[in-house]
This record gives sequence, C-alpha cells and structure tokens, in this order.
Amino acid sequence: MQVKFSIFRYDASKDEKPYRQEFSLEVEPTDRILDCLDRIKWDYDGSLTYRRSCSHGICGSDAININGKNMLACQVLIQDIKKKLIRIDPIPGMPVIKDLVVDMTDFFEKYEVVKPYLIAKNPPAKERLQSQAERALIDEAVNCILCGACTSSCPSMWGNPNYLGPAALLKAYRFAFDSRDEAPAEHLEAIDTNDGVWRCHTIFNCVEACPKEINLTWHISQLKKKMVEREF
Amino acid sequence: MSYKHLGSRNSGAPGWLFQRITGIVLIVAMVGHYILMHYTPSSGHEFASTFERMQNPLWKIFYLTFVVIGLYHGLNGIWGIVRDFKMKRWISVTILGVLIIAGISFATLGFMNVLVF
Repeated sequence: MQVKFSIFRYDASKDEKPYRQEFSLEVEPTDRILDCLDRIKWDYDGSLTYRRSCSHGICGSDAININGKNMLACQVLIQDIKKKLIRIDPIPGMPVIKDLVVDMTDFFEKYEVVKPYLIAKNPPAKERLQSQAERALIDEAVNCILCGACTSSCPSMWGNPNYLGPAALLKAYRFAFDSRDEAPAEHLEAIDTNDGVWRCHTIFNCVEACPKEINLTWHISQLKKKMVEREF
Repeated sequence: MSYKHLGSRNSGAPGWLFQRITGIVLIVAMVGHYILMHYTPSSGHEFASTFERMQNPLWKIFYLTFVVIGLYHGLNGIWGIVRDFKMKRWISVTILGVLIIAGISFATLGFMNVLVF
C-alpha cells in the first residue's frame, strides 16, 4: 500500500523556521513507523534526523508525535495508524535540536530532582527481600523507559515548564513506594512543591501517551494520598 | 543534583485535601439550596417566608457555612489555575492579593445578607 509521510524538518543551525517535507512510500501494513523513517533516511534523504537505538521499545529513544499523539516509532505499525497521510513531528513541549530530535536536558534535570535511586543508609547483611504484595505496588512503575512521551504530552507542563512532569513523578513513586527504600520522605519532599505533584490535574494525556501502558495518573494520585497521610 | 525545580517547603497537601472536602460539601449544599430555592415553590420564595425561615439559627449556620466554603473552594480553585502558569512573581502576588480581597469582600456581603434577618 502507498502511504504519504509529512515530516517536520528543522535544522537550528541553518533554517530560519521549520517546514514540512513529504515522502511517499510503498509499505506493508505490518511495517513499523521506524522502518519507514529508516527507509526515508537511507533511500531518500540522509539528512533526516531522529533518535533510535534498540528499535524494540526498550531504550525509549524514539518517542515522536504521530498524527498528533506521542508514540514510540518502533512500536507502532502502519496498520495501527489507519490513515494514508501520516504526520510526523517531534514530541511537543521541548526545544527542537534538529528534525525529530528534541533537547531533553530539562526532562532529565527534573528527573534528577526526585532522587531517582534507592536510598539505603544501612548496608544489608544479605539481599533486600520483598514480599509479592510489596513488589506488586511498583510493578507498573518499574516499567518506565524514560522516553518522555508522557511529560511532553502534558498540558500542565506546556503551561508551566517548571512542572516536574509525569515521568519524574512516576519515578518518585517508584522509590517512595519501594519497601526497600529507607528514605521515602526524601523522594516525597522533592515533589511536594509549587511545581511538583500538585500541578497534576488528572488530564490523562500521559496515560494515553505511555508506550508501556503505565497508568501514570493513578500513580500520581497515590503520591497525593501519601502526602496527605504524611501531613495529618 | 539540580535544585532548579525545588520550591516552597510548605506542603500542598492541606490545600489539595480541603479543596476535595469542600467540593463534596458543596455538591450537597448546592443541590439542597437549588431544591429549596428554585424547584419547590411550596417552600416559599417571597420575603416573608424567607424571613421566617431565617429565624431558625440552623438555616443561618447553613448559609454562613455555604458562603465560606463556596468562596474558599472557588477562589482556591482560581489560585490553583493561576499557579498552573509560569509567571513573574509580582504578577502572581498581585493576583493572590486580588483573590484575597475579593474573598473578604464577598464573605462580608454574604454575612451581611444572612445576619440581617
């Protein structure tokens, strides 16, 4: 089948403003969007720039905006799109470096704020054990691949770029609710700010965008409940 | 470690919780008020019946609570929306000041209307 791709193009070093470039490809319904981008780059225009690494939905490097929705290019098939014209843009809310590559410095700075690591003050004599129920609390949260699809789809982040965003909050949950973490309060204090967890208004864009099907809004609501328990 | 995004140490938990509690109270109070004042002509809407009803201190307490909770919920909601946007500090402080003055003014007006009976 013939499919037309309309791709966002912009090179900050030479273009005054962005423009769109169209490519028509003969594709199979089971081709991934990433396969199509590879073919465009390899066969038509080598200057097309995008991030990719593992190509199997694990590294989280190829989050892009396809027909208005954030997705992983390596996880979406042509038949999933159901349109003959596929618009491809960089994920919104982040500065574009070139074509589909965005600057994620701010995203990772916010990630760092929540102390995204296990805080263990006392070295254990043996491995830290967890019950099945304790592990179940973080089953979804540990699946985050930090692709940024959620944070970049969040209107609260578009309105207030200082907002930590769903990815950082999910990481705070992942450690604050981990039974092995010895200082959950440190993760919680980092997000209990004007630009932290309270800026989430349960819009659910992040849930829709997450390629790992993590219910981020539910996790953020658990953080809010935890904050209230801490205060009263 | 970047502290760029760390702000006030005051917890937002009480504000978040009270917004929800007042929201639930308002649903009950609003529905009660609407049924009383707009859908049941038998309850009496003219001055005399309103005057008689308001002699009961429980109705006064109901409406005073309604005014306070409604203003808190509404103005805190606007403040929450304002804080969704990045803005200069003097602008947000000005908006907060306007909201506080509006709250005090409307509360005074509400109290005057209830306590006059």
